[in-house]
Amino acid sequence: MIKPLSHLFGGLLVLMAGNVFAQATASNSGDHQSSQFAPFQIFDRAEFVQSASWLPPDSDANWVPVELPDSWQIQNRPRDKIGWYRLRFTHNGTAHSGSDSGQQAIYISRITNNIEVFLNGSSFATSGRLGPQPEESWNLAQYHFVPFSLMRDGSNELLIRLHPDGYARAGLSKVYLGDSADLREIYNRRYFIQTKAPQLITGVLVVMSIFSLTVWLRRRNETMLLLFGLMAAVAVVRLFHHYFRDTPLWLAAMAVPAVLWLTVLQTSFVLHYCNRSQPRLERGLVIYALGGSAMLLVAAVTDLFSEATQVIYASLAILTPILAAIIIYQLSREPSRGNILMMVAMLLNAAFGIHDFLNYQELLGYDRLYLLPLGLPLLLLAVAALLARRFVETLNDYETLNTSLSVRIAGRERELAASFARERELDQQRAAADERQKLMRDMHDGLGSHLMSTLALLKRGSLQQSEVESLLADCIDELKLTIDSLEPVERDLAVVLGNLRYRLEPRLNAAGISLDWAVTDLPPLDYLDPENVRSVLRIVQEAFTNTLKHANASRITLSTGTNRAANRVWVRVTDDGQHFDMEKAKGGRGLANMNSRAARMQGEIEVVALKGGGTCVSLFLPIQKKKPPTDGVFQRLSPENARQS
Amino acid sequence: MPRVLIVEDDVAFRDRYGAILANDPAFEVVASVGTAAEGLAMLDLRKPDVLLVDLGLPDLSGIDVIRHASRTLPACESMVVTVFGDEEHVLASIEAGASGYLLKDASEDNFLSGIRELMAGGSPISPIIARRLLKRFQPEITPEPVPLPAAPRTERSDVSLSAREREILLLASKGYNYPEMGRLMGISPHTVTSHVKKIYRKLAVHSRGEAVFEAHLLGLIRSM
Repeated sequence: MIKPLSHLFGGLLVLMAGNVFAQATASNSGDHQSSQFAPFQIFDRAEFVQSASWLPPDSDANWVPVELPDSWQIQNRPRDKIGWYRLRFTHNGTAHSGSDSGQQAIYISRITNNIEVFLNGSSFATSGRLGPQPEESWNLAQYHFVPFSLMRDGSNELLIRLHPDGYARAGLSKVYLGDSADLREIYNRRYFIQTKAPQLITGVLVVMSIFSLTVWLRRRNETMLLLFGLMAAVAVVRLFHHYFRDTPLWLAAMAVPAVLWLTVLQTSFVLHYCNRSQPRLERGLVIYALGGSAMLLVAAVTDLFSEATQVIYASLAILTPILAAIIIYQLSREPSRGNILMMVAMLLNAAFGIHDFLNYQELLGYDRLYLLPLGLPLLLLAVAALLARRFVETLNDYETLNTSLSVRIAGRERELAASFARERELDQQRAAADERQKLMRDMHDGLGSHLMSTLALLKRGSLQQSEVESLLADCIDELKLTIDSLEPVERDLAVVLGNLRYRLEPRLNAAGISLDWAVTDLPPLDYLDPENVRSVLRIVQEAFTNTLKHANASRITLSTGTNRAANRVWVRVTDDGQHFDMEKAKGGRGLANMNSRAARMQGEIEVVALKGGGTCVSLFLPIQKKKPPTDGVFQRLSPENARQS
Repeated sequence: MPRVLIVEDDVAFRDRYGAILANDPAFEVVASVGTAAEGLAMLDLRKPDVLLVDLGLPDLSGIDVIRHASRTLPACESMVVTVFGDEEHVLASIEAGASGYLLKDASEDNFLSGIRELMAGGSPISPIIARRLLKRFQPEITPEPVPLPAAPRTERSDVSLSAREREILLLASKGYNYPEMGRLMGISPHTVTSHVKKIYRKLAVHSRGEAVFEAHLLGLIRSM
């Protein structure tokens, strides 16, 4: 990415060297006003006169000989008058017949744009905007065909009428006259370097500036993007009037503060690029640029702009070497290829800047090419390339980091999974121990006491065999219920009830009671552990027992249902016997017992006497128990806890 | 007339079974023995139609007797007689080839009707067993949310249930009996029992390959 750019830089250098060389050779050969063999002739002398009239002045007007290139600034000419250049040459009609077309043209490498060209008194070309508000274009090349019809054999007179622009940068470079094809080639080359290429690169700079600033808006800590975006924008402002026709005066004037800002931004950028940010220095530079800009603004209003410009440039002449030293020092601390490239590019641009400053003072010849319009954009492109490379390197680093991170995270995940597995195992062990304890208590209170009392009754010898049988059957029922509660029902209440039917139905049938079964699909109840299964079984069994013993029923219906909105399921035992008061019923341990069991599961019991006789006992259970605010597993993992630990 | 072999080490129970069956002229007890070894010998010798076997035998497990019966006498219906009809024992027996179970304390009527049901099609499937079978044949219904790499797949299924069989198991798990299932599904109770029989067979086929593994899984080796 950097190589092509350095090639471009090299190409630019070659071009500029060529430019200087061409200028040198041109001035050498210019003495020969008409060469029999050259395809074109170059005028480095002309005659000049100023007048108010748009009509060609008389030949006996006050013509003064001038050397080309000619600068009005150097000659200190008034800008409120039109200027006339007269160039005389001899033409030999047969001398040019060797070329294909024989078409003649003039080429002017740089001129104020607003001109009208005459040959032997007849106008044949105009450019720009003539009149009281001329076009603000001062850095353009011109190329015009010369009509055959106006050309005379022998002596000819070429007149150029020039309307100065608002920049006081009027003047005329050397004038080329000759074969149109050859001159067009020269013109095209000049036009490309002077106008077209800078325009193209400006477009690129605008896009890059917008891009950088947009990205910076989202990532405010990328100061280099801000600085680069601003540099690119300021560079466009700085160079705009060099290669766009008729730039508004205010925009052209902003080229002066733009130089200030470029200097400041460039220094700041290098400091950030080298990770050597010096906030105080940078702040000072910004204040300096702000002050200078404010001064220029005031000067523009009070018509002292060119004086203020001279002050600014003088201050820059002092400041720039210091900043250049800082830049060179910082970049050379780590002499990587990128740093050296940036250093060279910046020094080169500093040299270009000095060159252009002298050129602007018209000290280097009016037709001298300005170098910054190409050099500065190319510098910025090089900087962009370096930024891009750094960005790519950072991305690569991140990817590497990500890879190693994900490996580490995977490792951690494995550890975590292992520790969770360990924890789960512990939990299971705890749960098993817990369950064993509950079971023991249950056996002690239930089966144990049952057996004890049966044994005591037996010892007293007061029992009939049928009574013993019944008592022992109760014991076995109790044992079966306990065992059933330990079966894996997977929180499915329907299975629990189904299993109860399996146990109880033979006895109901034996008692001549038929059982209607209406168990539906029920949502899983998370809390349905063996202990709660036993509670449910005891409640329902109690309901059956009561009916068996007291209701004298012939039919029992067991039905279930779900009410998700109310977060509950219900189990309903309905009989068709006589209604009886459960509280007072003998044998069963009564409603209170059922209620307390249900309450432990956050459920409740409802007993309703049916109109046509019979009783309906309903057990309501929550689908999800309300959780008491205890420490959960997730609390341990919550950010607050993590921060505390 | 179905010829019955009783293998039960508790003499009282053995005599009770014998007495119950002797009262019913529909059955003939061909032998009544107290050890697995004798049971195996009688299987080979008498080739009974029905095997009633206790799981807790002094020499071998009743499972071995059932397995032998299902291998050598495909027509013989094996039935486990158990105290509690709990899932572990019953499921292991079914996998070994049994097609039903009886409770030791069942009344005489229930005892006989259980054997008759078995002859007719298959013992009722208790809700818990039904539930377990559903899970066994449909392991993907409740996949582990976070699969642990080392966790062995406990439930594998190379034999799958038909929609009807699944429906029957679902109803059975809720406690419905065969006539009720027939009503709910619009088929005859007889069709229900034939479906049940298929389910039993599928489980036996399904489990053959993993019998040893399953035995470990169900804790049989510990509990025997």
